[in-house]
Amino acid sequence: MRLALAVVSLVVLIGSGVVVYDQFHSRWEDNQKAYFNQALELAKTPAERASVAAQTPKIEQTIVTAFGTTRIDRCESCHIAVDDPRFTSAKQPLHTHPYSEAMGDVPKNGRWERRHKFTDFGCTSCHDGQGRGLEKADAHGEEEFWPDPMLGYTTQSNWKKDIAAHVQGKDYMQANCAQCHTSKDFAGTPLVSQGRELFFKTGCYGCHRIEGVSSGTLGPDLTEVGKERKLDYLWGHIVNPRDYTATSIMPKFKLSDDDKKALVVFLKSRRGSSLSESSVESYRLTTTNVTPAMPGTTTLAGMAPVLAPAARGEKLIGDLACMSCHKLGDRDGGISPDLSYEGLMRDQPWLMDHFRTPRSRVPDSNMPAFGLPEEDFQAITTYLLTRTTPPPAMSAADAYKNLCSRCHGEKGDGRGINAIYLDPAPRDLTSAEFMVNKPDARFVASIHDGVGGTSMPAWGKSLNDDQIKGVLDYVYQAFVKEPRHQLKARKVPEQNPVPQSAASDAHGEAIFMERCTGCHGRKADGHGPNSLDISPRPRNLRNAAFMQRVSDHRLFESVEYGVEGTAMPSWMDYGLSQSDVGDIVNYIRSLNQTGK
Amino acid sequence: MSKETSSRFKVLMDLPMNIWRSIFRNPLPSSDRGRAATSFTNFFLHIQPVRVSRQALRPSYTMGLGLISFFLFVILTVTGVLLMFYYVPSTGMAYDRMLDLRSSVAFGVILRNMHRWAAHAMVAVVFLHMCRVFFTGSYKPPREFNWLVGVALFLLTLLSSFTGYLLPWDQLAFWAITVGTSIAGYAPFVGKTIKFILLGDATVGQEALLRFYVLHVVVLPLVLTLTVAVHFWRIRKDGGLAKPEPEAALPAPQVEVMVTEAVPELVPAAASASVAPARKFTIQGLVRGPLVKVGKLEEDTVFSWPNLLIAEMVVLLITVVGVMAVSYFFNAPLEQPVNVMHPPNPAKAPWYFLGLQEQVSYSAFWGGIGIPGIELLLLILLPYFDRGKAGVGRWFARERILANSVFLLFVIINIILIVIGTFFRGANWQFVSPF
Repeated sequence: MRLALAVVSLVVLIGSGVVVYDQFHSRWEDNQKAYFNQALELAKTPAERASVAAQTPKIEQTIVTAFGTTRIDRCESCHIAVDDPRFTSAKQPLHTHPYSEAMGDVPKNGRWERRHKFTDFGCTSCHDGQGRGLEKADAHGEEEFWPDPMLGYTTQSNWKKDIAAHVQGKDYMQANCAQCHTSKDFAGTPLVSQGRELFFKTGCYGCHRIEGVSSGTLGPDLTEVGKERKLDYLWGHIVNPRDYTATSIMPKFKLSDDDKKALVVFLKSRRGSSLSESSVESYRLTTTNVTPAMPGTTTLAGMAPVLAPAARGEKLIGDLACMSCHKLGDRDGGISPDLSYEGLMRDQPWLMDHFRTPRSRVPDSNMPAFGLPEEDFQAITTYLLTRTTPPPAMSAADAYKNLCSRCHGEKGDGRGINAIYLDPAPRDLTSAEFMVNKPDARFVASIHDGVGGTSMPAWGKSLNDDQIKGVLDYVYQAFVKEPRHQLKARKVPEQNPVPQSAASDAHGEAIFMERCTGCHGRKADGHGPNSLDISPRPRNLRNAAFMQRVSDHRLFESVEYGVEGTAMPSWMDYGLSQSDVGDIVNYIRSLNQTGK
Repeated sequence: MSKETSSRFKVLMDLPMNIWRSIFRNPLPSSDRGRAATSFTNFFLHIQPVRVSRQALRPSYTMGLGLISFFLFVILTVTGVLLMFYYVPSTGMAYDRMLDLRSSVAFGVILRNMHRWAAHAMVAVVFLHMCRVFFTGSYKPPREFNWLVGVALFLLTLLSSFTGYLLPWDQLAFWAITVGTSIAGYAPFVGKTIKFILLGDATVGQEALLRFYVLHVVVLPLVLTLTVAVHFWRIRKDGGLAKPEPEAALPAPQVEVMVTEAVPELVPAAASASVAPARKFTIQGLVRGPLVKVGKLEEDTVFSWPNLLIAEMVVLLITVVGVMAVSYFFNAPLEQPVNVMHPPNPAKAPWYFLGLQEQVSYSAFWGGIGIPGIELLLLILLPYFDRGKAGVGRWFARERILANSVFLLFVIINIILIVIGTFFRGANWQFVSPF
């Protein structure tokens, strides 16, 4: 036992020694000693030499009280030569902080005088990082949980490699310059200005709110996004939103790397309250009603008398970057519907309503309601209504490729480039079971008149009946690949035989809640618990624009006989009588009468 | 003059020795009486008996598990108090303080690591200690009540660890506590109330953080310390550690008889002691009277000084070394700061409650409240039903094969549930393979 005691005591002693040594052996002391040695060699006068020799390593710290919360920056414990002009060619950490006239440094009597003195500003005001850290990894914020790694210098270990490569470089520090230099056209922060322009140009402002800048509500508020997120998240989320948030509805915009960089810098500069703003100023900002300050709005207003509405609308479409999402001619954002033949597909009231509130016409649309002045909407509408040149005559295959495949996909599988942004999703034309069991007339009508409440437009004015027939034949031949069935006549009433009444609605609701909510959801919005596993997705029965154009005949047929090629079963087989179905139809109709 | 000087000089010369003697009344013992006196007169040693049986000293018998639990508690108290100098129980600052501990506080990393790992270790060791007591049949009369105190200590240990789990205010903490308190909410009638009282709110937030903090640093340690004191005191009063039957059979009933006799005698003895402190050994005789009959000194015992003391020191140092070594090489976990909108999938309770969470995934009430409640009730009632004298003081005694098997099954099932909950459960609590 005594031997054990002796051994364990020794181990405890050594262990404690290791821990204490670990704690008190510091790299910054070595760096300072190296600096003193070099300074001693560089010293010219004996007095200077004596003063250098008298120095011993100690923690150098700057306490900054002038900006927001107090900062304690100990960076100079390692970077001790930052203000010693003799070390401009030395290696880090003993490197002189560059002098720059652009940043306001001025040469005086053969020496530079800094505009941003370290004693006033510290280091982390511009660079971020962890001011109090005395180990490199701590001070530079390399640890993955540190919220502010050194901007543009430090990438954290959990950042994706391909993203980390993009978010390096001193340009990113402009985000911190903009904390004090808040004016929009400040020369030192060109990327922030560019990012702000892009924020409007690419339509970000339509969905996102930034206090004092924009007031969108569809996406998250970005007022403090620079404080909450790091560069890798901002970059990665712009490149592909779904990588970071699986359920994100944000589109994947096509942006050049320079544009991404500018946007990231602009967003990183959004840190809520700016350090230099007084609280009164920020209060004024929160209380003023923000109308988006579009770049060039004033010039557009000024040119109104000069330009005809159509021309002004065309210019607005360009300036507002509608083609970040939409397709118009050969410019394609790859997210939203093609506007090239809009004049043949929509009319004035539809376009105006849709501009004011997109969801009034397409209830599940992801287009934000841009709060533009009414005359701008009118101008754009006027311009779009001039787009009446039908597509040139071409073969059915080409027509499908040019007009249909953007949504329905090259292979007709309903997975075109913009399909994930459309709700309801484009029909999968390869689903033979669905396609062969529907009458031709229905498909012709869908193409000719469009499908209400969805992104399927009416092609009746762009294509003649033969062309429509040709496209439909092409679809059957290329994608369905099965002969059309000879449809049996089904016993389905043309009109709902059950008259609308409160009792009928209530009975219909009771059956609906019991039988239908698993897929269509308790709100009948198509988002029932099973809906995620079903393709095509259950119909949103609250899509009034769609429901009002569907006949009783079709509703009865769908409920009684089911829909082939979908998860909708034949409810006759499950014991629903004709009057039950009538009650359900009445109930669903009653859901869609609001607003009439 | 010279005489006065020399006497003053002598006072000065004797000063260090006088101070030393005033603190340590006995010189290092060289005789048996001296060894007895050392144990008896020292504040820190008098909690121990003067003589201790060889059986209790054998490492293979106790494995030092009770002592290790206590020393872990001491380590936790010391490191915990030091951490309190830096910690702020505020949702806005707590996580920042964690980052500070990891980077700019001297010894911050090792302190936090030691506190965290010692806390996990204590839960495990206290449980193992309970297993040891069961498998050696040490809970049998007259030690039934001390078993109860032990069960209370186990629960207090779990609670202390659980309340501490929230304090870093990271994702791990927040969601583990959310899950843990939800399990408490399944209790019938009082569940919702208990949850509300614990959290001070409908969800985990500032109020919960403050409540858990106060429970963790004041209430629970205080109760735990008191209960530990009772636990130790009862060990002495119940006749030391449990011994195999031949020895345990005789003194056990005598203990209770003699204690009642000794109480009235104690008062005059104490009074006479203050008059004549030189006759300390008579008090020793009086107090020891009830435990060991004069002339019937227990066989196979040795003096506590130095045998027991050295053994205890070794256990203490091994515990310290173990905790320090683990803390030096492994950092205590810290995750992203709390994000109320993004629960990790799956959100898991602390590991010692993962068995519970696994059971809850089958049935909320039975898994979270019903079965654990029954298990706890059985643990409490155990010593009052299993009163046979056979097999006390021996590991896995043949006479206790039924009881030991049942308990072993209970232990294994719980460990398996914890292992499944920890390693085999992925997103949406689906079964996944960790390999």
